Amino acid sequence: MTRRSLKHTLRSPDTMVMTIALPIMILLMFVYIFGGAFDVGGEYIDYVVPGIILLCAGFGAGTAAVSVSTDMTNGIIDRFRTMAISRSSVLTGHVVESVVRNLLTTSIVIVVAVALGFRPTADPLKWLAALAVIAVFVLALSWISVALGLLARNPEAAQGFTFFLMFIPYVSSAFVPTDTMPTWLRSFAEHQPVTPVIETLRGLLMGTEIGNSAMLAVIWCDAIGLAGYLSASLIFKRKTAH
Amino acid sequence: MTATLTLPTPSKSYVLADSVTMLRRSIRRIIRYPSMTLLLVGMPVVFLLLFVYVFGGTLGAGIGGASGGRAEYVNYVAPGIILMTVASSAQGTAISVAMDMTAGIIARFRTMAIARSAVLTGHVIGSLLQTMFSIVLVIGVAVAVGFRPNAGPLEWLAAFGILAFITLALTWLSVAMGLVSKSVETASNTPMILMLLPFVGSAFVPTDSLPTALRWFAEYQPFTPVTETLRGLLLGGPIGNNAVIAVAWCVALTLVGYFWAMSLFNRRASH
Repeated sequence: MTRRSLKHTLRSPDTMVMTIALPIMILLMFVYIFGGAFDVGGEYIDYVVPGIILLCAGFGAGTAAVSVSTDMTNGIIDRFRTMAISRSSVLTGHVVESVVRNLLTTSIVIVVAVALGFRPTADPLKWLAALAVIAVFVLALSWISVALGLLARNPEAAQGFTFFLMFIPYVSSAFVPTDTMPTWLRSFAEHQPVTPVIETLRGLLMGTEIGNSAMLAVIWCDAIGLAGYLSASLIFKRKTAH
Repeated sequence: MTATLTLPTPSKSYVLADSVTMLRRSIRRIIRYPSMTLLLVGMPVVFLLLFVYVFGGTLGAGIGGASGGRAEYVNYVAPGIILMTVASSAQGTAISVAMDMTAGIIARFRTMAIARSAVLTGHVIGSLLQTMFSIVLVIGVAVAVGFRPNAGPLEWLAAFGILAFITLALTWLSVAMGLVSKSVETASNTPMILMLLPFVGSAFVPTDSLPTALRWFAEYQPFTPVTETLRGLLLGGPIGNNAVIAVAWCVALTLVGYFWAMSLFNRRASH
């Protein structure tokens, strides 16, 4: 099923291009247009790249919802039910493909960022830890996306449902430090799932203070992943039961 | 043997009457589909809230030094957001025109004694009215989040004049973009360039904070003089020669858009 999902991705390169192009465009915009006006106490590109990486992950994971919704509406699931296929493998295939695809697109975004002047100070071990954080985050988002894709009536609605996955990183420490935000917004930004993941990533790649962000990031990712997995399994079981 | 239908060339009064009829049609469509207006207003409002509350503190400090802050930044960014509303509305026009071209209604109009130009004129004036209404809503939201213009009645009139002019220019351009598009989906993507231009100008940050190559482009593109003129009129800052450049850009874009749209429409409507 993973192989099937990967084939789908390779056959529609426009999705892949968009998944890479949008974060790169946002990176270029924030570095070159707003970067000179942002005051973050250092090189802005070094500050913003971890946020862009997660934005890329969010955007990429969102496409899993559209793929699942397409499968649910075009009748392929009924065909699979006539075959000796494990039910869960249909969804797992989408999720694994999403993780693989996102790690690939994230790598491309990091390469572009380095070309633009991003200078991480991480050693190989920290790079490995950073990739693990990204993978766990993508895994969690992919399961949530799959659940949203199953809830949606059609692929267009699925795309709309996942819009918040794209929007949440903006209201975090991705682009600006949270202490520059108004009090009411700061409390949300500091206690939402993306912020500890970004701070962990920033700490691993740039050597900044991580504190308890790593632990919070793991807890958030586990909670989101578990919620996504359980709800996706439940919805899928209900939708394919009759 | 095929019979050819030769329609009389409409007089100027007919052209005007037909344009009013087509305008009425456009307004009816706007009223029947308020979601489009909400969408056109929604995007600039989201950007306004994002730039004021999320980025405003940092950008305000970066722009205004120690004295700069969110309050100063609201005043700086609001004129840019107002212009973004105009660019956002242009996308709606392109979609409406593409819908007309692909749905076959134009073929019906061709069998009637209707002035050809009236179809497009109806779209343009309808879009102009819709955009002006959207601008009023966006200004309302901007005032609610802290925008404090100090313009007098004359300055407000001039500001709405320049906004109407740039709307007219971009609407004719987007009509042409809608005509050149093969599908409604393409028509919704083509005017994206108009949405991106305010970013690469002085709408969100001063041009002197941009890298040299980008600064050069930002200073000479059409949105920058319009933004600066608007900022000067609403907040009482210096305008310099920006007003003249803004009007010149508006005239040029209107003419390009109008002639491009007309030639495309005549070509597509003739076969």
